[in-house]
Amino acid sequence: MKDLLSVVKDNREIAENIYMITLTLPESAGALHGGQFVNLSTGDNSLLLRRPLGVCIEENNELSLCYQVKGKGTKKLTEAKAGDKLKVLLPLGNYFDLSAYKNVAVVGGGVGVFPLIASLRENKDKNFYAYMGFRNKNAVCLLNEFSHCKSYTVTTDDGSYGKKGNAVQAFFEDIDKLNVDAIISCGPPIMLKALKSGLNGRGIKTPCFVSLEERMGCGMGACLVCVCKTSDGKNARVCKDGPVFEINSVEL
Amino acid sequence: MADLSVNICGVKFKNPVIAASGTYGFGREYNELYDISMIGGISTKGMTLEPRLGNPVPRIAEGTSVILNAVGLQNPGAEHFIKYDLPFLREKGIVIIANVAGKTLEDYGEICKKLDGLADMVELNISCPNVRAGGMAFGIKPQSILEVTRVAKDGLKKTPLIVKLSPNVESIAVNAQFAEQGGADCISLVNTFTGMVIDLEKRKPVIANNTGGVSGAGIKPIAVKMVYEAAHAVKIPVIGMGGIMNGEDAIEFMMAGAKAVQVGTANFANPYAMPEIISQMNAWLDSRKIKNVNEIIDTVKMN
Repeated sequence: MKDLLSVVKDNREIAENIYMITLTLPESAGALHGGQFVNLSTGDNSLLLRRPLGVCIEENNELSLCYQVKGKGTKKLTEAKAGDKLKVLLPLGNYFDLSAYKNVAVVGGGVGVFPLIASLRENKDKNFYAYMGFRNKNAVCLLNEFSHCKSYTVTTDDGSYGKKGNAVQAFFEDIDKLNVDAIISCGPPIMLKALKSGLNGRGIKTPCFVSLEERMGCGMGACLVCVCKTSDGKNARVCKDGPVFEINSVEL
Repeated sequence: MADLSVNICGVKFKNPVIAASGTYGFGREYNELYDISMIGGISTKGMTLEPRLGNPVPRIAEGTSVILNAVGLQNPGAEHFIKYDLPFLREKGIVIIANVAGKTLEDYGEICKKLDGLADMVELNISCPNVRAGGMAFGIKPQSILEVTRVAKDGLKKTPLIVKLSPNVESIAVNAQFAEQGGADCISLVNTFTGMVIDLEKRKPVIANNTGGVSGAGIKPIAVKMVYEAAHAVKIPVIGMGGIMNGEDAIEFMMAGAKAVQVGTANFANPYAMPEIISQMNAWLDSRKIKNVNEIIDTVKMN
């Protein structure tokens, strides 16, 4: 784990209200894996909290992160220009460990699509079957990242692009013909809930790993702000014990 | 290189920069980033006799130059600390301040007894704004501060007692005096100010607990004033905190009368905050040819 002063290389809107920021790191931060995240300063010193963003693309000490503009911090981030400097703490959290699997279903919703891309990129030897859900056609982006998947399905809530519906529905429509040995997923809580109940309702025991989101403080496990409930009634730290959890090990 | 060491109640700190309770866990995570043996001390995550799960999420919100938190004393219990965290911190050679809380007077007495002789100092959390029935209930009225301090002090035969004061009170000077009367060896302040941030779209507070403790750069001038008032109301030493982000902020608190400082929220904005504050204090003293940090304590002259 390092806190590095990165230089903004590029920062652009890639879909409605969705930005991709590319940072050049002054040195290697060590191996970064899909599912891990970084804690990025916003460039506004009056905002004391960093913004936790999932790693989307990482190559040769260049890091691309995607974010949706939601509040003051992400609004400020959109103003970052090439050459600006932002502090970035990384790598944080655990990751999607696919070493034991060959055929993997990928279920992403909204901004939850982006952290999954890093997993696709680092596991080129796997067969991926991707289901990506977006709000509408204006939110659809980065589809080229899925081109090497065995198959990929895009859904939109309003049917303005791809299939009408959401990623979980599309995944369950295909479940009988899919022969996967693992599922990875990231998306809004309501989507992960639907995935969990869908799997359990069908008695599907395929290992399923989900990446969770929570408001964070330190981002490194010290402050106990971003906890989730585990199935045995304890708390787990989303930033340190997660963000990736086996779907049945946590309450959603 | 100025001499940064300070001595509080017979406990020697290699420098006056202490990690504030709740922001630094038990030190293990920050030790992955830098060797924490360089800091003066750590006030641990607030502990109770039994493990606690704390409040529902979200537990954090943000304002301009401040944050709010309502973690609600999630902790693994004092026993776990003694077994797993104390040996780790001992190896680091930093002053170990066990921050403790309870629901009842008896809880406070018992946990102090348990930690007596084990921690270097015990810091009494009677000012946590985020826990009902306990915490701040003891920290508001002077008389209850006196009582809880007495009970805690009874349990501590070897380890000096710090009482951490809430700023959400009528008179910080009076409360400091009542803690001193109750037998406190030292006072620390300020804990967080109670506050609220509203999500305009949801028309609901951001934090699940509705209210949370406000900390960070934005509270610093209020904290400096309160530290000054407390330090000039008692004879026992005072540890100051509240929005310290850099070395000059730390110097300011010491000029106001603090013998040492605690750094909390700054660790979130800048995970290297504590090592940087230590070197910035050094540079400030060196540039003014001050050889010993103790020379700046309580040197503010009122207009």
